[in-house]
Amino acid sequence: MAFTLELADVTKSYDEFVAVDHLSFNIPEGEIFGLLGPNGAGKTSSIRMMIGITVPDSGAVRIFGQPLTRKLLDRVGYLPEERGLYKKMKIMENLVFLARLKGIGAPEATRRANQWLERLDLGRWAGSRVEELSKGMQQKVQFIAAVIHEPGFMILDEPFSGLDPASSLVLKDALLDLKKQGKTILFSTHRMDTVERLCDSICLINQGRSVLLGVLRDIKAGYGHSSVQLQYEGELPLLADPTLVASSNDFGNYVELRLASGADPQRLLALAMRTARIRKFEIVEPSLEEIFIDTVESTKAVAHA
Amino acid sequence: MHKLLLIIQREYLVRVRTKAFILTTLLMPLFIAAAFVLPTRLMLQESGTKHIVIVAADSFLANSIKTELAGSHASDDYDLPQSGRRKFHRPDFDVSVETAPTEELRQRLTTQVREGIIDGFAWIDPDAATTRKGVYYSRNASDFFEASLVSRALRMALSQHQLTEHGFTPAEAKTLLGPVHVDTVRIDKQGANKSNGIGAYLLPYILLIAIYVTVLVYGIYVMRSVIEEKSSRIVEVLLGSVTPMQLMSGKIIGVGAVGLTQIGIWTVAGSLLGTCSYAFLHQLIGDSMKDARIAPIAVVLFPVFFLLGYATYACLYAAIGAMCNTDEEAQQFQFPITLPLVLCMVCSMAIIRDPNTPFAFWLSIFPLTSPIIMFVRVTVSMPPTWQIALSIAISLASLVGLVWLTARIYRVGILMYGKRPTLPEILKWIRYA
Repeated sequence: MAFTLELADVTKSYDEFVAVDHLSFNIPEGEIFGLLGPNGAGKTSSIRMMIGITVPDSGAVRIFGQPLTRKLLDRVGYLPEERGLYKKMKIMENLVFLARLKGIGAPEATRRANQWLERLDLGRWAGSRVEELSKGMQQKVQFIAAVIHEPGFMILDEPFSGLDPASSLVLKDALLDLKKQGKTILFSTHRMDTVERLCDSICLINQGRSVLLGVLRDIKAGYGHSSVQLQYEGELPLLADPTLVASSNDFGNYVELRLASGADPQRLLALAMRTARIRKFEIVEPSLEEIFIDTVESTKAVAHA
Repeated sequence: MHKLLLIIQREYLVRVRTKAFILTTLLMPLFIAAAFVLPTRLMLQESGTKHIVIVAADSFLANSIKTELAGSHASDDYDLPQSGRRKFHRPDFDVSVETAPTEELRQRLTTQVREGIIDGFAWIDPDAATTRKGVYYSRNASDFFEASLVSRALRMALSQHQLTEHGFTPAEAKTLLGPVHVDTVRIDKQGANKSNGIGAYLLPYILLIAIYVTVLVYGIYVMRSVIEEKSSRIVEVLLGSVTPMQLMSGKIIGVGAVGLTQIGIWTVAGSLLGTCSYAFLHQLIGDSMKDARIAPIAVVLFPVFFLLGYATYACLYAAIGAMCNTDEEAQQFQFPITLPLVLCMVCSMAIIRDPNTPFAFWLSIFPLTSPIIMFVRVTVSMPPTWQIALSIAISLASLVGLVWLTARIYRVGILMYGKRPTLPEILKWIRYA
């Protein structure tokens, strides 16, 4: 299998602080890959090494099967978490300038920028300055800047932040289109619902280390059908029973819980019915959010032990 | 190379198109013109007739003073070089004489001054011949020019008085007390040129202001530009395409090109204006600029020294921009760097007057002051060629070191947000591989 990005044992420290700690993962060509992790986990530090802004202290970064060089970076697109555009310059000027820096000729850049602006419903703003646009519109312009040079590999840091549902939908379709064209996309986000729907594989990092890595489907399957979703009215004292419930996320009349190993869901239902009125009972795959919180909590526990 | 050009191009176009650029390009020459035309105009203005009263017990003395004040004209009075003379127009005096110095008279005159009936009165000491004293009363004590004319008249009257007593005829006394003429002649390599103090002084000063302002303003543009890219996080996008070195040098070159454009426009406009409207200028400010010509070598060296000075300060400002997150934060850092420039301005007067002192020499060699001070020296009197060459060579050498240092601070600084770095942290950045 061809890999678009390979991180091999990459480490980066700033003074005493280890931002990225022996991180390794590969992204197969044509995949949408989710890089997840809590704030300060080392996502941005990792990304900076993928686009050549910083150099790893040790380990290797390869893109398109070759060691990272500046020449290869022309085939990479990057959308930073915070908007990075010249506020005083017009939208079209921003896009053409950034595209030309990636080696696209000016007329071609203008043509593509117009196409993308139309597609993302920004056509009439082409001549406006960036500062005149709303946050969501700026985010869409930023997205165009990341893809205008038709890169084979796109790194998108929180691409959906600040977008209304309609714009999110347009952007999602655009991403899926790019995937169909065989492009590889790396997502960095906290939004588990997006990741769950879009990503093929994920890497969850915490404190600079990879704590969960693999194909999303496999990861979820690995957690088994050990999760229960319950809608209820009344009290559920059984949530505190460690022989039955490993962890739970209680919303008051709705609870997601993970069964303790060996616990019988039928017994749980029977017990629950004694203290509450059950409106819905379902045994499901764990949600990614659950896995995320669970994994982060358990690695924290390890780190503190 | 292609990417560097793109950075330069963007930096250049964005700035040249701003209203600020167009306005300063248009207004700066007007401002400089106004800065030296207006004061000259003001000095040339007739100040009207002054009504003053001379009070002296000795009527002969009082009348002599009156004659001095009313009769003689400014151009005969001053030991000034020929061409400077038109600058000082003394007021016409309408003088009356009182020879009975009583307290009652003093009161009355004081009231008259207060009410504006007369402009002032001079109270001459009864023993003026020995004490040589008098008091000049006027509404406006700051009008030292008027007071000095009165005191001059008293001195002349007394001297004339005493000379006559010693047996000189009034005509002899007048010759003895008359002004002398000393003209200044500047000797340079082309031979002797008759020059005049005022013009030879004003022109280097105007050029000094021009180079000072451009170096400072364009240096600060670089800093602002760095901070803008840093705070808008566009550096992160750019660094995915270009190296920090390309970004920094592109910015410095681009902004510098804007500066050169502006200077070019000013030079062309200035020489056109100077040629076309020479008569007009002459009418405005008289002869004082007659011999003030910029040496051709100074026209050539202006962009050279501008570029050296600009590049030096642009590096420093770029480093500051990289360390800071906001313009406000940068202002505190900016101050120590602006100091050498301010020093240049402070010392410039002395250097224009006396351009070849050891002090002037060292300032024109020290890299942070050399571009400005050496240029000033060139405009005043051509220093030896080896000194100019040495100044440029040291400036270039220090620039190489400065670019290296700045690049190291820049490349780390632009990615650091939040807390402002401490000095040890900055030193650490420099040592990073």
